[in-house]
Amino acid sequence: MSVTGYTVMSLSAKEYYVRETFKSIKRNGVMSFASVSTVAVSLLVLGMFLLVFLNTNNLAQYLESQVQVTVYMKDSVKAADLQAMDQKLKSLEGVVDVKQVSKAEALERFKQRLGDQVNLLSALGSENPFPNSFEIQVDVPSRIKDITPIIHDMPGVETAKFGQEVVEHLFSLTKILRIGGIILVVCLSLATLFIISNTIRLTVFARRKEVVIMKYVGATDWFIRWPFLLEGMTLGFWGAVFACLLIDGSYSMLLSKIYATLAFFPLLSPNPTLIYVDLFVAAVGTGIGALGSYISLRKFLKV
Amino acid sequence: MLLMTDVSKIYPGGNVALKDVNVHIQPGEFVFVVGPSGAGKSTFIKMLFREVIPTTGTVMVNGTDIMNLKPKEIPYMRRQLGIIFQDFRLLPDRTVYDNVAFAMLVIETPYRKIKRRVMNVLDLVGLRNRANSHPNELSGGEQQRVAIARAIVNDPLLVIADEPTGNLDPETSMEIMDIFSEINESGTTIVMATHDKEIVDVMGKRVIAIEKGKIVRDERNGVYGYES
Repeated sequence: MSVTGYTVMSLSAKEYYVRETFKSIKRNGVMSFASVSTVAVSLLVLGMFLLVFLNTNNLAQYLESQVQVTVYMKDSVKAADLQAMDQKLKSLEGVVDVKQVSKAEALERFKQRLGDQVNLLSALGSENPFPNSFEIQVDVPSRIKDITPIIHDMPGVETAKFGQEVVEHLFSLTKILRIGGIILVVCLSLATLFIISNTIRLTVFARRKEVVIMKYVGATDWFIRWPFLLEGMTLGFWGAVFACLLIDGSYSMLLSKIYATLAFFPLLSPNPTLIYVDLFVAAVGTGIGALGSYISLRKFLKV
Repeated sequence: MLLMTDVSKIYPGGNVALKDVNVHIQPGEFVFVVGPSGAGKSTFIKMLFREVIPTTGTVMVNGTDIMNLKPKEIPYMRRQLGIIFQDFRLLPDRTVYDNVAFAMLVIETPYRKIKRRVMNVLDLVGLRNRANSHPNELSGGEQQRVAIARAIVNDPLLVIADEPTGNLDPETSMEIMDIFSEINESGTTIVMATHDKEIVDVMGKRVIAIEKGKIVRDERNGVYGYES
């Protein structure tokens, strides 16, 4: 009789692993689907969080580099004294640029910022409440802390301020996000690990007879392990793929919404940020899949 | 081939399964292990493929001390053995051919070699024409022949059979024993635990009788010696 119809004949060990993996995923269809979806949700949260964290960090860095000292002058200071003040500020060590903002200019800026609601200003009548001011750029952000009090004590100065508080708040926020993120990542990873290892446990249980026979005929532990590891990795990987699709889609959407209203808001552009996030999510998903399988196999391999 | 020296096995809980067992089996021998249920036969058999580890004493299988094996080395030690069980332990979702080929596949035999060897072995057990059948389409005797084919497909030095005819009628049992004889005649050592008086008496091979964990009889051309 002809014996050419046997699938097993054309198989090497590696083909065997792959075939067993897909057979098993198909056999556990519902459970495989359930674990892919759960992994996808966990990784979605993980990826979203990563994006929030990266953006906050980026924003803090951006603002830090943008730090300037704003000097508000008393209204009593005359125009000529403003010119002298301008020279004095420029001569300070570390100052790279001094921009004089007149009362009229400040009002104009404010009008622009109000946009549609510019009629609110009508309450002021003809009065301009904005002081004359200077915007000072320094060469390095760290110099700001020293320079601000010096300026503050100059004659005619109402107050000198810098945006450091905002930056410091942002940095403490990123610190909290980082710690929270690590906790979140650990919790989500454990949950994902639990889900995958349970799915694989079902697979192994369904095939425990096969595992025992394999051990009796002298299969090595790694030979037995591979199909299950591949199964876990496949589940983790597909969970990651779905998570990445959702992450990429929603981030791009969010970005276009934000840019429509706040054109210069410093958000990270999708390329390359999303590529890194996707790679990270895929690696975490696949890695956890492998680990989950490894854990649930340990007991069954002791024959 | 097999050398047990002062082997005892005490299970957790204090149940003594084997006590001071000394056995020497030469290459090419055919040995029956007999005795009442619970006498220690099963423990004796399981020690040969290291499913059970002796509490004291040494077990040498083909020159290898099974106690001193690293976990990594166990699979390679088992590749020299063929193991056959009372309940056949075939994979129901695979064909006869795949069940036998499986044993070659898992030890990573190049697939070119698998086909010819599997068909040869199926010839030997008389199942070449059932290669495409699934185990549930076969009689008990045929299933056991598949299990035998799987056990010998990798050319083991020692075949270990635990009650291989326990689920079969007398006529089928004798057919199975014919296959074992043939395997033995080709030089393979066979150790078989059995409750089957008829086959032991007919075969006239070496018989080791175990009672309460001790060897009480070890005879060449022995008989079963118990009421069946």
